[in-house]
Amino acid sequence: MSTERMKAEEFWNREHIVEKFWKGLADGVIYARKCKECGAIEFPPHIACNTCGYHETEWTTLSGKATLKSFVRTGILNARLELEDRGLKYVCGEVQFEEGPAINAVILGISKKKAKEVREKLPVAVRPVFFDMGRYTTLFFELDE
Amino acid sequence: MLTNVKLGKTLRSVSIVGIGATPFFNAQENETYHGLTNGELFGYAALDAMKDAGVEPRDVQFFFHGTANPGVLEKCITPNLQVADWFGMRGKGSLSHSEGCCTGYIALEEAMMAVASGMYDIVLTGACDMGTGMPDGNTPSFMRIPLSTEVLFPDLDSIFDRAYGRYLGGGPGMNHDDWINYYANENGLTEDQIDDVLCHQAYHFRRAGALCPRAIRRTPFEELAKEAGYDDVWEYMKSPYNPKVTQYLRTASDSCVADGAAACIVVPTEIAKQFNAKPIEVIGCGASVLDAIVPHLEKKATAEAARQVYEQTGLTPDDIDLLYVNDFIGSSAFLAAEEVGYLPKGEGWKYVLDGRIAFDGDKPMNTNGGRTSYGHAFGASGMADIFEAVTQMRGDAGERQVKKLPKHTFLRGFGGAQNVRAIILESNF
Ligand SMILES: [Zn+2]
Repeated sequence: MSTERMKAEEFWNREHIVEKFWKGLADGVIYARKCKECGAIEFPPHIACNTCGYHETEWTTLSGKATLKSFVRTGILNARLELEDRGLKYVCGEVQFEEGPAINAVILGISKKKAKEVREKLPVAVRPVFFDMGRYTTLFFELDE
Repeated sequence: MLTNVKLGKTLRSVSIVGIGATPFFNAQENETYHGLTNGELFGYAALDAMKDAGVEPRDVQFFFHGTANPGVLEKCITPNLQVADWFGMRGKGSLSHSEGCCTGYIALEEAMMAVASGMYDIVLTGACDMGTGMPDGNTPSFMRIPLSTEVLFPDLDSIFDRAYGRYLGGGPGMNHDDWINYYANENGLTEDQIDDVLCHQAYHFRRAGALCPRAIRRTPFEELAKEAGYDDVWEYMKSPYNPKVTQYLRTASDSCVADGAAACIVVPTEIAKQFNAKPIEVIGCGASVLDAIVPHLEKKATAEAARQVYEQTGLTPDDIDLLYVNDFIGSSAFLAAEEVGYLPKGEGWKYVLDGRIAFDGDKPMNTNGGRTSYGHAFGASGMADIFEAVTQMRGDAGERQVKKLPKHTFLRGFGGAQNVRAIILESNF
């Protein structure tokens, strides 16, 4: 028997997609994936394309330019505890990147009074906030005014 | 998301021939029920369903056990094997499943597929959750203590995607109000108008709950108003006695956490009448699942699941006589009713204000009171809806019987941030 057997790491060495995404945020970079067939942006990044169902995507980055399309204020039933604990003012809303994908997101710096003003102006431009949560850096947004 | 699934015709038709359900209650506060366990609740519901179908445990070939959160609420994994002995099914095949608050609807989908495939002829499927309590340390199951918010709140994050969603914007926040906010914008309704609609909806569902012996909240809002010193029930509904808990929802539109179980027996339709004179056929089940990071996920998944089941059954919304919507988020009820075509687009809120969605209205829905009155035992709630649907379709609902005996009932399951099912039942007698 040969002792020169192939190691698992030689034939199976795949992308660490989740890890790369979060490390990217710590460096102020928003990683996404782009479908090799339909060109749609997959965000947050996954292995395959959820727009057309093709199996392969490749790395790309997003500019961070985005639009807040709608939002809600939270109450005691649906507050985000990790933000309340930090005493942050925020709303939760639908944010669409200029490259296409839309996600539910947190928008910082919007008080109840401010929310009323912003609601009249929707959709409005927002920009990314790379927010240090201690053990990791996450992606929130703020008004781009 | 893609919307290209076309459901096939099953190998054989499947019918519900037996139903069983415990009441929904708070075992921490109710002295009569304190000390009961998951195995007993599931067991009693299962044996009631068997009795209703005229079978003994020895006749049942396989069972499904659903529960929303066995880790926190029961401190166990594989609950199916821990409950099997309670209703005489030791040694037979079974399966545990857990899809949050959609568990009870998926319970029927699983059983349907098991029988439709030809694999089994007599299948029990049920769900049980004891949502008001948790194990008192590592002790026998009858020893339970109230579920504390310190345990529950951090654990709620568990239903959101851990790779990304819960740490971005896919956790709580958008979950409750996204759809009603979208609807308000789309239809030019103010926050006050939405408030009126949701108060009326809760009021009418409570009218049904008051007439439903298994419901946990049965006191009509008029009575609660009077007790609190209000002559006008609508003034009470907008008072500090019914405070806002999100931007749009008041406590009356929030589910009432409960303990309870429900179960049913399914068999091939071709032999169904041997078991029950009034079999209820499960004619289709659409499915769509979206994580909470997707904007407007409940609307999108509901539309997709409904599209599938209408295509599978060849029915249209005009064929539906009765509707159940998992409304642990109160606004989901009339919003989903519109989305599946049961109420006209953009008009659903008027139907609510006019009471037409009440059990005695012309577009009845949630005739057991829904989650806000019947209560919400998480995974068990969907199966409790199926119990109520079959009861109504048999004409056995007594004082809360809908005016027209339903030929077709639509059930919109939802839960676990979020699984959606769209099931259509047809009376077959
Ligand atoms: Zn693609």
